[in-house]
Amino acid sequence: MTFRPTTRRSTLAAGAAAIAGLAMPTVLRAEPAAIKIGLIHPVTGPLAFSGNQCRIGGQMAITDVNAAGGIKTMGGAKLEALLGDSQLKPELAASLVDQFAEAGAAGFTGCYASSLGLAATQAAAKYGLPFSIDSGVADSLTTRGLANTFRLFPSATVCVNGAVDELAGLNKAAGGPVKTAVLVHENSEFGTTTAATLKEKLPAIGIKVLDVMPHATPTRDFTNVVLRIKEQKPDLVIISNYLNEYVLLIRTLKQQRVPSGIFSVFGGGFSLKFAKEQNDISEDVLDFNNWQNPKAPTTAAFRKRLDAAGVATTYEVFFGYYAVKLLADAFGRAGTADKAQVVPALGASTFYPDMLPYNPTKFVNGQNQGAQGVGLQVQHADVKVVWPDQFADAKAIFPRPKG
Amino acid sequence: MLKYWPVLLVVAALLPLASSSQFLVNLAMLTAFSALLGQGWNIACGFGGLTSFGHAVFFGIGAYAVAIMQTRFGINPWFGLPAAAVLGAAAGAVLGAAAFRAGLRGSYFALVTLAFAEVFRILANSLEITKGGLGILIPLHPALANFQFDDRREAYALVLAVLAVAMGVAAWLRRSRFGARLVAVRENEDAAAALGIPLVRTKTQALALSGAVTATAGVLYAQMFLYVDPSIAFGADRSVEMLLVAMIGGAGTVWGPVLGAIVLHLIQDTARLLIDTPGFAPMLYGAILLVIIAFMPNGIAGLRLPALRRNRVRDA
Repeated sequence: MTFRPTTRRSTLAAGAAAIAGLAMPTVLRAEPAAIKIGLIHPVTGPLAFSGNQCRIGGQMAITDVNAAGGIKTMGGAKLEALLGDSQLKPELAASLVDQFAEAGAAGFTGCYASSLGLAATQAAAKYGLPFSIDSGVADSLTTRGLANTFRLFPSATVCVNGAVDELAGLNKAAGGPVKTAVLVHENSEFGTTTAATLKEKLPAIGIKVLDVMPHATPTRDFTNVVLRIKEQKPDLVIISNYLNEYVLLIRTLKQQRVPSGIFSVFGGGFSLKFAKEQNDISEDVLDFNNWQNPKAPTTAAFRKRLDAAGVATTYEVFFGYYAVKLLADAFGRAGTADKAQVVPALGASTFYPDMLPYNPTKFVNGQNQGAQGVGLQVQHADVKVVWPDQFADAKAIFPRPKG
Repeated sequence: MLKYWPVLLVVAALLPLASSSQFLVNLAMLTAFSALLGQGWNIACGFGGLTSFGHAVFFGIGAYAVAIMQTRFGINPWFGLPAAAVLGAAAGAVLGAAAFRAGLRGSYFALVTLAFAEVFRILANSLEITKGGLGILIPLHPALANFQFDDRREAYALVLAVLAVAMGVAAWLRRSRFGARLVAVRENEDAAAALGIPLVRTKTQALALSGAVTATAGVLYAQMFLYVDPSIAFGADRSVEMLLVAMIGGAGTVWGPVLGAIVLHLIQDTARLLIDTPGFAPMLYGAILLVIIAFMPNGIAGLRLPALRRNRVRDA
């Protein structure tokens, strides 16, 4: 071994190598920039509970994606939430889209209420940024030709048609005991549209609509409505309204001993809490609604996770969760957060929300054709899926037992 | 420098037009829009002392008028602007004539306006022409010819222009005979009647003028957000926004609604931007409102900014 004296050149070379070596871990450690997603919901005001549930679901999805190593095709890029409270003001929802777009949002989810979603999706369309609707059932959200808007979940029409199918199936299987119905609905967009569609479709399945009774939200006393129902003796009372009025109406029906069966479409108060804590009035009540797939292997663990976090198990959490996951999947397949590639990736998406009772995903004009609601019933203080058979974990009790 | 504050305010209002930030322009636009709503209320209620809790009725009439005209009859929404103003004025005249002939004033008139707005909300929820609770979705065709804006700066410029007209109406009220009669009615109806001022006609005319301005704001809203439903159009919170803006800024002054809108939006938007905790921003907003109402009963204009002071001296 020969000793070579230190020269200026060798010192410079060694220094450069040392600096390069020191810098290497930094290069290796450098993470790709986070992908920002705007989560816009009404987390204060009259829809705060449901808006918060959607937000919680979205945040859980971001946590899960990041914990699983981020978006792998983008070098493990992490997702970052930009949280916005739109209250119940469409102008505020649009303003939040502007704010987040300028903060670098690559996509949006939201907005629970259709009126907010209409304003927000339209604002996002001006930037060409993808918008994944989490809850908001108005058909117009995806039928007005905005190329950036996608809904993984069912629209109002899909759900009401599903409810009519379920009712037809149950009635036929039971020998057709239900021949008449009274519709009670809240008088804004959701209740009015639902009742109008039911009124049009029920005669075709052999159910005569005796009366349609709209009511305002809030309504604090249903005695007169229930007395009118009692007088008409319908086989079924079909309800579409929000939480407080839903519970109050069913309580009044029970107190007045109305013998009719109770079926609701998007029953606002139909939940696990309603089934467990108000079982004196909730037992046997049928509802057609968004729900999770009880047969999916991951659902029970997700529900435990919600219980542990003190979060109520409602469909909004699942919707918020999968709305973000849909975007994350599109980022992953596009390998970029560039809207020009993410929007087509969403359009071609077959991302399947495994905890929801859906058919395979296929987007047509931004609407997932595989999305559907399911028939539910309170049985033994629990919510059971009773329709369709493919996802059912119990048999429907129909018609309602007397007494 | 302070004596030039109206000039500075106008320059500040024009600055966002040079900004490329759609978010900033949108904030400026919503502020100007609030000022316009406040000015609509201020014309009848600030200058004339009418206590209206249901001004949303005029806003809703304007919004629905333009939405129905274009979706049902295919009429270009630009024609909806004057038509809505006429309808708003007609609604103001009918409401005013009915209420003032019956001698209603103060809290009784407030209740009637509240009920009037609620009746319209229920009608909009029930009638086929308004598409009931479903609301009316205006088809998206962004083009200036369709009164739809791709760039928020265009919408902001239009809101500023309409606000300038409304400010012009308020300034005219301050200087005209009609305005003087209105202020006389506000200060003492019996004395005004003794001087020969026709009370019913004066108040009805003021309400019609106010209805026209507020209905125009409704048209702008419908064309900016392209969706109207009964709660958005006739909801009580819209009426509250109008009277808050005018009262916080200074009811019965030309610049009051503008100052009120700036302060309220500054509080609201800054709190929203800086604080993430749900509910904190509205709470802070409410607390600051209480402070302003408690310590500035005449609104911000009551602080006697130089130009306003000159006006007051002239009034005296």
